[in-house]
Amino acid sequence: MTHLRYIVKTIVASILLLCSSHGFAQVDKLIRAQQLLNTKSVDVAKLAIDSVIQHTQTKADFVSWTTRAFIYFEIYKRTDKQKLYSPLRDTIISSLKTSMSLKPDADYETNNKKLLTSISINYYNLAKNLLQDSVNEKRSAIAYSKYKEVFILAEPKANLLSKDIEYYSAVGSIYSDLFGKDKNNTKAEETAKIALFKVLELQQDNPSANRNLGIMYCNKATDLIQSLDYGADISQLDIIQENAIKLAKQAEQFMLKAYQADEKNHSSVLGLYYIYRILSNQPKVDEFAKKCKDLGIKLDK
Amino acid sequence: MPIKFKCYICNSLFNKKLQKSFKYLVVLFCLISFRFQQPSNFDTNSKIKAVFLYNFTRYFEWPDKKKEGNFIIYVIGKNDNLITELKGLSGKKKVGTQDIEIKNSIAFDASISSQIIYVLNDVPKAVSEVASKHKNKGALVVSETAGACKQGSSINFVVIENKLKFEYHKNNAVKSGLKTNDDFKALAINVD
Repeated sequence: MTHLRYIVKTIVASILLLCSSHGFAQVDKLIRAQQLLNTKSVDVAKLAIDSVIQHTQTKADFVSWTTRAFIYFEIYKRTDKQKLYSPLRDTIISSLKTSMSLKPDADYETNNKKLLTSISINYYNLAKNLLQDSVNEKRSAIAYSKYKEVFILAEPKANLLSKDIEYYSAVGSIYSDLFGKDKNNTKAEETAKIALFKVLELQQDNPSANRNLGIMYCNKATDLIQSLDYGADISQLDIIQENAIKLAKQAEQFMLKAYQADEKNHSSVLGLYYIYRILSNQPKVDEFAKKCKDLGIKLDK
Repeated sequence: MPIKFKCYICNSLFNKKLQKSFKYLVVLFCLISFRFQQPSNFDTNSKIKAVFLYNFTRYFEWPDKKKEGNFIIYVIGKNDNLITELKGLSGKKKVGTQDIEIKNSIAFDASISSQIIYVLNDVPKAVSEVASKHKNKGALVVSETAGACKQGSSINFVVIENKLKFEYHKNNAVKSGLKTNDDFKALAINVD
């Protein structure tokens, strides 16, 4: 009987030891993963941490998930920073989300937020590069939207209005410039208009959007007349003039708002001079010719 | 039930690592540079006037002696954009078989013989002098000064509701020695 009791005790003790050692094995793996991260052996650290987050004992711990995010971030920095679609980046974000959902302590929460902010800024910079260097508005818009999505995870109360204005203004200015260089590029014209109107939706008096729209309409009016054949008959000329006047009046509305925001802005003053010239409004032409002169802007005569 | 695990052993070490990582986490927003397009400096009024002037040649008949040589458009006054535009016209169009030639002087030069004399608004007083000296000489006098038709101009550009139009004084054109076309009256603001 005593012998049997001894055997049971030994078996129970062995089971407990086995269980706890398995648990400790996971703890060991987490420590190992962190050490590997420290020594920059991130590929091995990745294997260890992927095992840690699968174990019931450690998968409910925010430390595991934050560690995983940092390990993946090291790999991501190496290979995927410039990619719009990156499974590594997605893993970092989902790991940080999980860590945040596990109510981390203040330190870990701060670290999580910093990493989320960093990832979001990478998205923003990607959006900027796709816009300026690749002139790929669609992909840039995706990156920008991801930037906002991730940034809000880090700072749920953040107000991104100024960033929205900055981004859509940039899209508007880049695409209106493209359209200015190639009048057949109607896609660029449309993209610019949509972006600039979006800015005005966000901030009615935005000087840059008003100015760019003013210039776009003014130049469209000019192009209409410039492309006219000398042999066009008078009735045709009449219609063209009418359309150009409509465009110039639209340009005037936008440009006046830009001018009211900054009366010394050269583009606004010059723009109004040209708009009034299209409208054959001589008193205004003279008024803005004088303003141009006062600002040192040279005019053709 | 999973044991709540907190990695206290490596926490300080890990935090050090995070501290180190923060340095790398300072990712700055790249500023998006803006490209500002400029308003076009093309002078639309000059183009419209050039198109009008070329149209006028279709509605008048010049005396036979003016159907020889070049068709001269003589501009009195200063407007560089208009001269550039008219030179563009002369390179692309003809009046019948005649090449178009553009002449320009700041003040009226009576010795210049032309089919069209365009008096700019910086020399408004020249209109009456030009009209009187070119009576019956087969020159269409065009101007851009208020009331110029009363001073002898045949056609005078005016702006009505932002649109460039023209007044037409048929009698002055007849006095200049031109044969006129009645269709032209329908296109103009008639002032005689």
